[in-house]
Amino acid sequence: MKFYVCIKMVPDVNAPLQIKDGQLIQDADRMILNAYDASAVEEALVLKEKHGGEVEVVCIGSAKASETIRKALAMGADKATHIQTSGDEQYDSGSYARILAKFFGDKEYDVLSLGKQSQDTDSGLTGSMVAELLELPYTTNAVGLEAEDGKLIVKRQGDSGQEMIELPTPCAVTCSNDMNEPRIPNLKGIMASKRKPVDQIELSSLGLSDDELTPNTSVKGYEEKPGREPGKKFEGEPDEIAREVAQLLDTEANVL
Amino acid sequence: MSTILTHIAISDGKIKRSSLEVLSHCKKIAESGGHSVEAVIIDEKASSYVDGVKKYGASKIYTVEDPVFKNHMNTPLLKALAKVMETANPFVFAFASTEGTKDILGALAANQDASVLPDVSSFELIDGGIKAKRPVMAAKIVANTEAKGDKILVSVRSGSYDLVESETDAEVVNIDFNLDDSDLKATLKEIISASGDTIDLNEAEAIVAAGRGVKDEEGQNLISELASVLNAGIGASRALTEAGVYDPSLQIGQTGKVVSPQLYIAVGISGAIQHVAGMANSKVIVAINKDPDAPIFEVADYGIVGDLYKVLPPFIEEIKKIKN
Ligand SMILES: Cc1cc2nc3c(=O)[nH]c(=O)nc-3n(C[C@H](O)[C@H](O)[C@H](O)COP(=O)(O)OP(=O)(O)OC[C@H]3O[C@@H](n4cnc5c(N)ncnc54)[C@H](O)[C@@H]3O)c2cc1C
Repeated sequence: MKFYVCIKMVPDVNAPLQIKDGQLIQDADRMILNAYDASAVEEALVLKEKHGGEVEVVCIGSAKASETIRKALAMGADKATHIQTSGDEQYDSGSYARILAKFFGDKEYDVLSLGKQSQDTDSGLTGSMVAELLELPYTTNAVGLEAEDGKLIVKRQGDSGQEMIELPTPCAVTCSNDMNEPRIPNLKGIMASKRKPVDQIELSSLGLSDDELTPNTSVKGYEEKPGREPGKKFEGEPDEIAREVAQLLDTEANVL
Repeated sequence: MSTILTHIAISDGKIKRSSLEVLSHCKKIAESGGHSVEAVIIDEKASSYVDGVKKYGASKIYTVEDPVFKNHMNTPLLKALAKVMETANPFVFAFASTEGTKDILGALAANQDASVLPDVSSFELIDGGIKAKRPVMAAKIVANTEAKGDKILVSVRSGSYDLVESETDAEVVNIDFNLDDSDLKATLKEIISASGDTIDLNEAEAIVAAGRGVKDEEGQNLISELASVLNAGIGASRALTEAGVYDPSLQIGQTGKVVSPQLYIAVGISGAIQHVAGMANSKVIVAINKDPDAPIFEVADYGIVGDLYKVLPPFIEEIKKIKN
């Protein structure tokens, strides 16, 4: 099976965040492979180990994104395409989806997979947008994947339970990070990644019009989240503090 | 005058409260801007929910009824939504942010060439579009965003708005729907687990959530007992859904459900940002944790420092007394 996995470089959400004059200050040293994409890579590698085939990662991003690509190759992906941008663009999910759809337009593959959302914007739109633009059958929020005679069997998490969906290939799927624990590249993988082919292509070579790249949505600025008032902490005898809090929930918070 | 359309989500035979919250908000902003607010119900038994929707002030209610909508599948839903958009021609189409919505929102935007802002915590109309606040970076900060265009899709986090009743005698319009079998790109094989008679976390007034500190059956029993005296839904951190202790549909957080009950009790949960992202909008938060420095205490209104096995039994007893 031929897998294409779309990956993105994102700021580490666990790093301290700073907002200055409405702008988000991001530490260039704390950029990582989006956790959901890492799960998509892992799942493709597992299916390749089972059924054979090839895993290629595709990343849109600045020169710095080559670190992210290297990480996926070190995990075991066979090759990569880096669609190079300056990194200063304010693309939204729609712009990314149109770039990816253009790139995949003339490619052959069985499965196109992506993370279900990216950790920085938490939008979760790109996967189903690409699928629609390419007219592919798709499923989002996969928590399990199996391949079977040219079909992809997807377990997805829905609102009230899990659903088993069968997709004919070629198809698209977005992955939750609940489905696996992405492998940590070992030394051998890291060494091998240096010899793997990375196809560098200029965004301009895809021939997208300005219109197709123009985002429909924009971020005007960032602000701190209104914090919660600091609450009360109760320490002491379990019996006593448990009763005290239960009482307060009734008389003070009014929620019982 | 233009139209703001609201999607009414149905789950387990009930209208999702979160979509009525969105409708209530749309009614308010439509009125102040001189627009009309309409609603659409897409379901196997769509017409049976019309009365429930009328209470919230839509001037027109579209129904799309077909057996194919018994379970969620994105292809038929997309086709129906596209048809509704062509009929109603809304300039804003608002959804409650559910897993079902997340599955189709991007595709619908691509299909309709619409602008889209997902998972917002509030939105307003501006000249030529909408502006919205979106929690980003694992809900650690808020982005002020704008979408421009003559077709804008938006999905709203549950609990963002209050329900406001304002009964109208809405006109009901049934939209014909035919699905060619060949249009059915994906097939649903089976529903593996359904929450059935458990309480829907998106709608629950109270939630008791268990984390890794809940180590065994004794702990799970305490969680169930507390939930039962409070008539609360049970949720879990990823540590426990991953371990298979609780069903994945009960996971709360960035990857799981975003909830906003009146009362949230986090038991043996450390308060990792990915968990907090899903529950920080609860009205009152209680945390029970034996580690006085657990980050969950930073968001808790009432923090009980102690061993859950020692704290829960007297806590449950006291609540029982109060409830009686
Ligand atoms: C991309 C990504 C997405 C994620 N999405 C989610 C998500 O949606 N939801 C989610 O929950 N997590 C999510 N996580 C995981 C998250 O980072 C944490 O690992 C997880 O929330 C930890 O669960 P926990 O608090 O139950 O366990 P732990 O962090 O292990 O905490 C257990 C707590 O229990 C306390 N404890 C232990 N014994 C007792 C006792 N006897 N009495 C009282 N207290 C006790 C401990 O002091 C500790 O604070 C995500 C992670 C990533 C990377």
